Amino acid sequence: MELDDNIYKKLVEIVGEKNVSRDLVIRQCYAYNWGNDTINIKRGKESSMFTDTPIAVALPGSTEEVQKVVKLLDEVGLKFKAQSTGLGPWTCASSEDVMIIDLRRMNKIRKIDPKNMYAVVEPYVTGGTLQAELIKLNLNCHMPGAGPMVSPLASSTSMCGPGFTSESTGFSGRNVLGTEWVLPNGEVLKLGSLGLNNNPDWYNGDGPGFSLRGVMRGASGTKSGLGIFTAVAIKLYPYPCDPKWNLSGVSPYYEFEVPNFMKFYILSCKNYDVVEQTMYRISEEEIAFMLWSTSNLALGALFSRNKAELMQLASKATFFKKPLVVLITARTKREFDYKNYVMEKIIEETGAKDLISKGRITPGTLAYCEALRSMMGFHGFLATGSFQSSFGGIDSIAVSFQMVKVNLPIKRKYTKKNLLPDDQGESHFITTYEWGHYAHAEMPTMYNVNIPKTRKAMVDYFDEADDAALYNHLNIPFFIEGDELHDKWGPFVCNYNVWLRKIKETFDPNNTSDSGFYISTKKELEKKKKQ
Amino acid sequence: MERCIRCSLCKWIPQVQIKSSDYASICPSIDEYNFHNYSGSGRMITALALITGKIQVDEKLIEIAYACPECGGCDVSCKYLNNLEPLEVIQELRETLVKKGYGPLPRQKLYVENTLKMNNPYGEPANERKKWLPKDIKLTPGAEIGYFVGCTSSYRRQELALATVRVFNKIGVEFQILKDEVCCGSPLYRVGEVEKAKKLMVENIEKIVKSKIKILVTSCAGCYAMFKAEYPKIIGKDLPFKILHTSEFLEQLLKEGKIKFKKEIPMTITYHDPCHLGRGSEPYPKWEGEYSEIIPLIEFPIPPKAKRQGTHGVYDAPRNVLKQIPGIKLVEMERIREYAYCCGAGGGVKAQFPEFALNSAKRRIEEALSTDATSLVSCCPFCKTNLVDGIEALESDMEFYDLIELMDKVL
Repeated sequence: MELDDNIYKKLVEIVGEKNVSRDLVIRQCYAYNWGNDTINIKRGKESSMFTDTPIAVALPGSTEEVQKVVKLLDEVGLKFKAQSTGLGPWTCASSEDVMIIDLRRMNKIRKIDPKNMYAVVEPYVTGGTLQAELIKLNLNCHMPGAGPMVSPLASSTSMCGPGFTSESTGFSGRNVLGTEWVLPNGEVLKLGSLGLNNNPDWYNGDGPGFSLRGVMRGASGTKSGLGIFTAVAIKLYPYPCDPKWNLSGVSPYYEFEVPNFMKFYILSCKNYDVVEQTMYRISEEEIAFMLWSTSNLALGALFSRNKAELMQLASKATFFKKPLVVLITARTKREFDYKNYVMEKIIEETGAKDLISKGRITPGTLAYCEALRSMMGFHGFLATGSFQSSFGGIDSIAVSFQMVKVNLPIKRKYTKKNLLPDDQGESHFITTYEWGHYAHAEMPTMYNVNIPKTRKAMVDYFDEADDAALYNHLNIPFFIEGDELHDKWGPFVCNYNVWLRKIKETFDPNNTSDSGFYISTKKELEKKKKQ
Repeated sequence: MERCIRCSLCKWIPQVQIKSSDYASICPSIDEYNFHNYSGSGRMITALALITGKIQVDEKLIEIAYACPECGGCDVSCKYLNNLEPLEVIQELRETLVKKGYGPLPRQKLYVENTLKMNNPYGEPANERKKWLPKDIKLTPGAEIGYFVGCTSSYRRQELALATVRVFNKIGVEFQILKDEVCCGSPLYRVGEVEKAKKLMVENIEKIVKSKIKILVTSCAGCYAMFKAEYPKIIGKDLPFKILHTSEFLEQLLKEGKIKFKKEIPMTITYHDPCHLGRGSEPYPKWEGEYSEIIPLIEFPIPPKAKRQGTHGVYDAPRNVLKQIPGIKLVEMERIREYAYCCGAGGGVKAQFPEFALNSAKRRIEEALSTDATSLVSCCPFCKTNLVDGIEALESDMEFYDLIELMDKVL
C-alpha cells in the first residue's frame, strides 16, 4: 500500500522531511520484530519475522507534533501504531493501512521530583538512563523485566511490566501516576492530578473525579490501541542499597564492586509446596528486594554469561531441585542484619537449603549489578536465541504455582517429542508483588527461530497453555490480545470483551489507533469480516 | 540475522555501564538519522529483508548501508549477552552491494579510484608520499623496526608523521620507512571493496618482508586495525612480522626505562579511544570445533567459542603512556574503552556524509567538555581531523593533541 502524496506532504509539514519516510526499505524494517514468527503462524500466515509492512514511518518530536499527526490520520482514514523503544510484535502494524509513529525523538526526562518521589518521562527515555540519573539522588524506579533498554512509559501505560524486583517495586502498571495522553482524535487528555484546574502536577494517577487509569491501560495495556502516551509520571522508590556503581574489566566480563548491604540467597526447596510456603513467608516479612521462583535450567542461564558456563551449571542442575532466588538489600547495616536474621529463620522454618552458603552456586559480582539494572531477563536468550512466555496472569502465589503444575504435562508433551528444548517442562518465572500475596507467573519457553518445527511447536503449545489457563480458571494470560482472543475469553470472564469494546468505541470510534493487539470497534470488525 | 530480537541494546553502551542519560548512546548513526534502519539491529533487519526478497536495492538502502562509521559500538553492546554479528553483517552488506555494482557511494568511489591510481585515497602524487620527511631525521635502512606512516599522516596530518619520527630519533630508536609504502587498504575495505583492498594488503606484506622489518609500528589507528585484525582474516594467515601501535611501542620503551622526559606539560586532558585502535583492532578469534545438542535443540559449541567483541583492543597502552607524562592529569569521559563513542569519521562517512561526521564529532566534543579537561588527546590522524572540525564547529577552546605530539613536546 502506498501513501498518498498529499498526506505525505502534510506529514512533512508537521514533522519535517527527515522525520518521515515512505521508503519501502525503511517501512520493511519496522515490519520486523521478535515474536512475529509465531504471531504470523497464529494469523495463518507464513512463519516470518516480518509482518504487515506499514504505510509510512514518522518520528514526531513533541506532543504537539504527535497530536497533529494523529489528527491527520484520523481525518484521512488511516491508522497508527505508536512505538517507544520498539521491542516485541505489539509495536508492529497489524494491517497495511497503519503508519508507525516512532517516538524515538521524544527522549527527555522532563522532571525528577525527589521530594514527592516521582519522575516524568517521555516515551524514549529508557529504564537504564532513568535509573542512572536516579542513582545520583539515591532513588530507584521499577525496572521492567524486559530489560533496561525498554521504555518505562511504554511499560507503565501500555504493557503489564512485571520485573525481577516486583517484590519491592510492583509492576509498571502499578507505578503510573499523572499521564499525558493523546487520544485517537488528536486531543490531549491529562490524567490524574495533571488534569486538575488548580496547580496541576504529576504526583497522582487517579482523579480528579473518576479515575481513568483502568480505562487507560486495563490489566495489561492497550499496546497503542487507544492513543499515544507522550509523557508519564512514574512512582520512585528509595535506592535499595549503597548507591555506588563501580565496574572494572571489559565487556562482558565486568567485575562489579558489590555495594554494601546486598546479599543473594539461592534456595533449593524439595518441592513446589515448599517454594510456595517460603515465598509467602518471605513476602509477609517484607524483607526482600527480589523474590522469584524459576526452574533449574533457567537458573543456570540467569547466572551464566555464556553457553560454556550454562553447560557447566546445567550439569549441576539436579542439585538445585526447585530453586527460589532472593536478594536482600538494605540501606543500613542494622536493617541488613535484621533482614538476614529473618531470612535465616525462614530457611530453618521451611527446610529450604541455601545453595550459596553450601558452595553449590556462586553468583558473580555482575549478577548483583544486573539485578539492580534488570539485565537478568536477557539471559533467557542465551541458550537458543529466543524465548516467549505462556500464561502470565496476576493472582495469588498459590494460584501461580497451580499454573506451573498445570503447565508441566503440556510442556513435557512437546519436549519429549523434541519439538521444544528440554527444560523438563519446568521453566517458569513467578515473582511476588509488593510484599504481599499477589504474584505474577509466566512460563518462559525457549525455542530456536532457525528451526521451523520449534516455531510451529511454540504456537501449538501456546494455544494449549491458553486453553489450560482458561478451563482451569487460572487468570487471563498476558498475551490474550486482539479481537479473536478477547472474544474467546470474554464470555468466561464477566463479558469483559463487551466493555473493552465499548471503551474502544467511545475513545476511538474510527478505529484510528491500530487495534491488532487490543480490541476493534464493531464497525471495524465487520469491515474485517467482509475482507 | 533472524535471531535479532530488535531489543535495541545496539543503540546504547552496555547497559550496566550507563552512568547518565546524556552519554548513554553508542551509535552515531542512529543518533543522526533516528529511523531504526540506522542501527546495528536495523541494518541486520534490512540485510535480511534484502536477502529474503522483501526489498530490492535502491538509493535508500545504499545510503543506510554506508551511513555508518563501522565503529563497532553496536557489536560490543549486542555481544554483551547475544551471539549475533552486527558489524560483520554491515560489512557483508557493503561487500554485497559492491559485488552487485551498487557500491560504494560516489565520493567513496573517488577514494577507491585514487587509491588504485596513486596508492592513497587523497589523489596525491605517490612520489610525494615522503615529502613531509625532513632531511635531518635519521633513518636506519634495514632496521628491524619499520614505521608505517599511512596515507592520512603522509598527506593530511603530516604533523603526526613528523612528531613520530622526531620522537623515535629523540629516544634513539633505529627505524626505517618503506621506500614505496602504499595505502593499507582501509579506505577500500571499509566500503566493501575487499578484493581491491586485498591486492594492497599483499603488496604491503611483500614490501615489509623484503625490507626485513620484524616490528611494524604505526601511529595510525586505521592502519593498525587493518594489519592487526583484517590482514590475517583476509589473507588467511598470520603476518610474518609484529604490528604495534606507537602507543604500545612507547609503553614498552617506558617499561624498559628507555624514555626520559625532559619537560613537563601541566595540563588536564581526557582521552578519546579511536574505534580502530580499540574495538576494531581485536583479532578475529580462531575456532575449530562443532556444535553439539547436549540438551536437545540447544546447540553448544564444542570447544567453547570465543566471541570477537572489541574488548581486546588497545585501551591501556595510551593511558599508561599519558599517565607517565610529567604534568598530565588524565580525567575520563563517561564513554571509554570498548564502549567509547566514535568520532564519526570512519567507514567512508567523512567522505560521503560530512555533515553526519561533523555532528558525531560535536557530540563527542560535548562529552569531552563535560569533564574538567582542557585538552582532548587521541591516537589517530583521522579522529584528529574530525574532532578538530568538531571543536571548530562548536567554537570551543578545547585543544586537541595526538599522543605522539605530546610526547614530542616533553622529550
